[in-house]
Amino acid sequence: MTVQLTPVDDAGTAAPPPPDGGPARRPATVWSVFLHKPTVWIFGGILIVMVLASVVGPLLAASPVSTNNPTFQPPGGAYPFGTDNLGRDYLARVLGGGRISLLVGFSVAALCLTLALVVGGLAGYHGGTLDLVLVKVSEFFQVIPGLVLALVAAALLGTNVTLIVVILAVTMWPGVARIVRAEAMRISQLGYVESQRAAGFRALRILWSDVLPNAMPPVLVATTMTVARAILAESGLSFLGIGDANAPSWGALLNQAQPYIGTAPWLPLFPGLCIFIVVLAINLLGDALNDALNPSIGKVK
Amino acid sequence: MTSVLSHYGRLLLSSVILLLVVISILFLLLELAPGDPIQTLVGDVPVTQALRDQLTASFGLDRPVWERYAIYLANVARGDLGVSFGTNTPVAELIGERIGATLALTVPAFVISTTGGIVIGSIAARTRRRWLDSLLSGGSVGLFSLPNFWLGLMLILLFSVTLGWFPAQGKAPYGQDGISLPYLVLPVITMATMELAYKARVMRSSMIESLGQDFVDTAASKGLSSRRVLWRHALPNALLPMVTVSGYSLGHMLAGSALVETVFGWPGIGQLFVGAIERQDTFLVLGVVIVITVMVLIVNVLTDIVYGIVDPRLRARVSRSAAPRSLRGPRTPAVSEQQRSRA
Repeated sequence: MTVQLTPVDDAGTAAPPPPDGGPARRPATVWSVFLHKPTVWIFGGILIVMVLASVVGPLLAASPVSTNNPTFQPPGGAYPFGTDNLGRDYLARVLGGGRISLLVGFSVAALCLTLALVVGGLAGYHGGTLDLVLVKVSEFFQVIPGLVLALVAAALLGTNVTLIVVILAVTMWPGVARIVRAEAMRISQLGYVESQRAAGFRALRILWSDVLPNAMPPVLVATTMTVARAILAESGLSFLGIGDANAPSWGALLNQAQPYIGTAPWLPLFPGLCIFIVVLAINLLGDALNDALNPSIGKVK
Repeated sequence: MTSVLSHYGRLLLSSVILLLVVISILFLLLELAPGDPIQTLVGDVPVTQALRDQLTASFGLDRPVWERYAIYLANVARGDLGVSFGTNTPVAELIGERIGATLALTVPAFVISTTGGIVIGSIAARTRRRWLDSLLSGGSVGLFSLPNFWLGLMLILLFSVTLGWFPAQGKAPYGQDGISLPYLVLPVITMATMELAYKARVMRSSMIESLGQDFVDTAASKGLSSRRVLWRHALPNALLPMVTVSGYSLGHMLAGSALVETVFGWPGIGQLFVGAIERQDTFLVLGVVIVITVMVLIVNVLTDIVYGIVDPRLRARVSRSAAPRSLRGPRTPAVSEQQRSRA
């Protein structure tokens, strides 16, 4: 019986490209549309450069903690980003800060995505109590500003990077989960899911093989935006002095730069510019992905 | 009529429950937090056992958690937010002194960002000049990606340090009470920018959706000028998601005041909050969060009422959020689900 119905199952899953190229065509065009946008080229490139610089850069740059340099050197010459109040090489500090900021941004988004897929998928597919709880929880986080809760939680529970990631993910995952839920709800009404149910597949299998893959497009857009929001939120927290003191992120650099804004304007300039560029690139990539997925939205008729 | 009453009754009930949940979560966090409240209270001096016992008893810290929780809830219900550890002043008094300064920032920022967002978003949606749309849309993504506290720092750098046009810190010249206008300019711009950009984005997509509807074609084919079609027919419909977004934006701005007020040395509740967290002033932290939550919940209820007035389909409805999807009207813009998810 299962053997008879496998074609239906294959038609439903969009992931493996079948030889005839039928069902897999849509995702392929989406990606080619996405990859052919100039925005994607430019800002994708910028983002990759920033990520590489933050990952590899600290290995090549001078020591971010050495104070053997003159203090308050303006940018230029031996110090492309200048030096700070203690004579630390600012380029090295900005690169190291990027490592933390990006790590937090991507980890939070990954955690949010995982949580959202599990809870949102189950809630949307099954409905019932879990769905009710998810709706209430996401309403809660929609109404109560996450920054306030994150501030209190981080200040009270401690401020190492892992804890910050967990706290931000807790305040941000319902946003993604709402979208997973809405999509899972829509998809579970569709014919191919119905036929699988009729064929007697277990709910978890249907969820995993059909519902979630087909729910991915809008969820990916939301996850992309979550990276940007998490970087902004983390920089806000550490700007207020609530961050890992041993791993200064861009926000922490801005916090330390605040007193020297008149004497050494490059100190607040560079970390903020980095945050701005990364967040802008991620937001534009998210927009481009959204446009590629829904070509009709956003066009004036 | 009764359904409307029961709707608002339920809305009020859920607001109260939400507030209870917030207080409970914070109470739990404060219980879990490492640290010794007695030591915080006394400061960096050794505490004798006798003094410790006396303080523990006088603050009721020897009682079980649930009992203290119940006492605190009862006090909050009576409007008593407790006494600040650090300053020995009632929390309600401290917040009362500061809340006006915060509202002096958030209210103008709210008005500017909402009207600006509506106008800019509508123009970007309507214009047939591609460069103008690209400029406005690109500009709003750009402003939306700015960390607002960094924008504040850069504004200080440009307008205060370099040009000397506006003061950088505080709300009035030294020794003077009240709020002086030049001091207000930079913080309000800082607070309004990100919200304006976000609202313009929402407005643009909702306006484009609205312009694609049949009634817009009908209005145009009646011979109405395109300006009239836009402002009188398309706009009211496109405003619906803006009501929701504006409702949430006040909460964001109140929370964001912690950052903006820190940048500008603005003595509002945001700064009070950050200071309270640094000093581990438990009741002050709780008090500020409760006040912010209550304000957000009030705005939330107001949003719901406005929504009912603006959207005729929902005038006789049951509930905006709890109702089955079919009752929410088929045209609730598809984008809003994603846009609203910004927590």
